Amino acid sequence: GVFAHLEMLEARAHEAAVKQEEMEQQEEKLARLRARVEELRLQRDELRAKVDLQEKGQLGKEGVVSKPAQPSARAVLEWKIKSIKAMLEVFYLTGISGKLTKQGVCFCISTAYEGTYLDSYYLDLLTKPEVQIYRHSVPVFIPLQQIAKKYLQTDIRRFLSVLYDHLNAYVGRRYQAEQLQEHFSDQIEGTVQRNSLCNLLVFNYNVSCKSRTFPFNVRLLYGDLCCSLPTEVVISCTPNAPASLAETAAAHSDLFRRVALHRVFGFFSSAEGSVD
Amino acid sequence: MDNSICQVYEDEIQSLEEEIKLLTEKYEESQQESTFFSDEEILMSIKSLQREFQGEFKGHEFPSDLKAQLESLEKDLSFLMKFTGIQFTSHSKKTVEKTRNRTVQKHRLSGNCHSLSFQLEFQLLEMQDKESVSAVITDLSIIMESGENSDVSKFVSSTEEYGNLLTFFRSLSSYAEWCEHRRCTFLHFK
Repeated sequence: GVFAHLEMLEARAHEAAVKQEEMEQQEEKLARLRARVEELRLQRDELRAKVDLQEKGQLGKEGVVSKPAQPSARAVLEWKIKSIKAMLEVFYLTGISGKLTKQGVCFCISTAYEGTYLDSYYLDLLTKPEVQIYRHSVPVFIPLQQIAKKYLQTDIRRFLSVLYDHLNAYVGRRYQAEQLQEHFSDQIEGTVQRNSLCNLLVFNYNVSCKSRTFPFNVRLLYGDLCCSLPTEVVISCTPNAPASLAETAAAHSDLFRRVALHRVFGFFSSAEGSVD
Repeated sequence: MDNSICQVYEDEIQSLEEEIKLLTEKYEESQQESTFFSDEEILMSIKSLQREFQGEFKGHEFPSDLKAQLESLEKDLSFLMKFTGIQFTSHSKKTVEKTRNRTVQKHRLSGNCHSLSFQLEFQLLEMQDKESVSAVITDLSIIMESGENSDVSKFVSSTEEYGNLLTFFRSLSSYAEWCEHRRCTFLHFK
């Protein structure tokens, strides 16, 4: 009766209080967010104005050097530090960069295929009592010790240059094989088989002749480790293949020797025997 | 309904914060590129900072840290230029595009390798995918002093066509060293 009714009223009041609190919290939150948005908008507008002023200033006086009013000594040094760091980053693009260390120098060899920069490798060298390799990230299938034995003591530049040739060619061969796999996977049967050094590649692709398809097996050997084109190309077809395909095989073989692997398929013309 | 308003505000806050970050970087880069301080001014600043902190904060890291950092970087740069024979005489860069995963910077670089001088312009595109950053050179333009030499101009145009900046520097370095070697050999025989 009365108690039950009182309990019900209490519960309702409690509910209402909770809802009221929730609403207030929600309003507070909205107000905070709104204030933050205003603050950020102001900051953004100020920055936009500063940047516009910079651009106008530069458009108006081409080549005139500007200095911030009364730069602090600290700002001057920070400018110089940034400037040198930028220059050191550019050295990375030249293939051989590095940093002096307490015990010697740590070189960084960068590699690239055409315009795409690929892996970089580190060589931490000690210079006393004689030049030695302390640590490095050169893969084990690159003949580093051989190259070091030949050049490291007598001509460091030559050593780095020869090592660079090996690394860059390896990375270039690997890149071509990966690009071939990625862009022509529909024309290749299975995958491109390769060894770690990527100087031996084997794969199959189909050639059509008179509305039948014949598999070609290609074996590419890159005899020169500093080169990213093969020195030897062997194309074999099945014994029941028509004689005319021998010409096609010879033409393709020639292409594989002269053209970068991932571009070869683009050169196959329909006159010779189309590739499926 | 209130939640969706909150979301709208939160989205705008995030987009504003990103925009502010990009604008700040753009402003700072522009400031950096349009400023120049001579070596004298650098030396004066070093001295000034040392004086400022000498009495007050003995052993405070700040100024000696900046000076040490500057000296270390200068040593590295000077070593590299001497070792590779590649001297850069000027460099400027400008960010022409920047999104979350993609940055394109336009670079102007000039210098010489032994006695061969060059001027380069190129765009460097850096893309961030799941795990790695890739860097690609596009729009490479090379001007070389001995550009009339047909071998040089052939080399330059094939390098430009494929954006082969790395090959350019490596070949330049080898060729310049070979020229030096030849020059020294001739001198030896004089």
